[in-house]
Amino acid sequence: MSGAASYLARRAAQKERVRILYRRALKDTLNWAVHRHLFYPDADALRERFDANKNVEDIETIDRMIADGESQYNKWRHPDPYIVPWAPGGSKFTRNPEPPAGIEIVYNYGREDH
Amino acid sequence: MASALRAAILGHLRVPVVANGSKLLTPLWTTSVRSMSSHDDHLEKTQVIDRILDIVKSFPKVDPSKVTPDVHFQKDLGLDSLDNVEIIMAIEEEFKLEIPDKEADKIDSCALAIEYVYNHPMAS
Repeated sequence: MSGAASYLARRAAQKERVRILYRRALKDTLNWAVHRHLFYPDADALRERFDANKNVEDIETIDRMIADGESQYNKWRHPDPYIVPWAPGGSKFTRNPEPPAGIEIVYNYGREDH
Repeated sequence: MASALRAAILGHLRVPVVANGSKLLTPLWTTSVRSMSSHDDHLEKTQVIDRILDIVKSFPKVDPSKVTPDVHFQKDLGLDSLDNVEIIMAIEEEFKLEIPDKEADKIDSCALAIEYVYNHPMAS
């Protein structure tokens, strides 16, 4: 039935949103708590918050909780997150771009024609 | 004037480059891997497998004896989807990668993780 399929599709989309939200929240927790000994208890607390709502069945409630979680995440985002240097936003991004294809160096010092 | 003449003569006498001269003598793998080169960014597959298995084995909810290079996180090891996210974050930290969210969602098993890390150009 299309009803069951759309329900399952909606649940799957919600699960994906939850996973992405958890991933971003965990990275953010690491950004705020730089030292590992502070990060581990914070990460555990975050996991507890996600686990407490694990068994909710009603789709509307789940949607509302996800929106709630995303707004909380947006509120607590770190202003200067750690990004891997070569990734967009990192310090090494496009630092030494590849030169375009036709350009090359002509090694003819001392042998120029003039 | 004399230099222009010399350049014209040299251009005329240019030796043609032999393209396929020694292709039989140098196998393909020797040209793709330069030993003793300082461009040693590329990880070897055994290294990648060892490091990923170490990460998975040191996860507290995982039984280390069950971990093999083709184990599925949720089906074989009985982990949660959030545990999956945590493992992928640990892999990102280990190999200094930045995996986009959509890609990270699809990594579900050790085999996929090894493939992804091995084929990533910036893994180190």
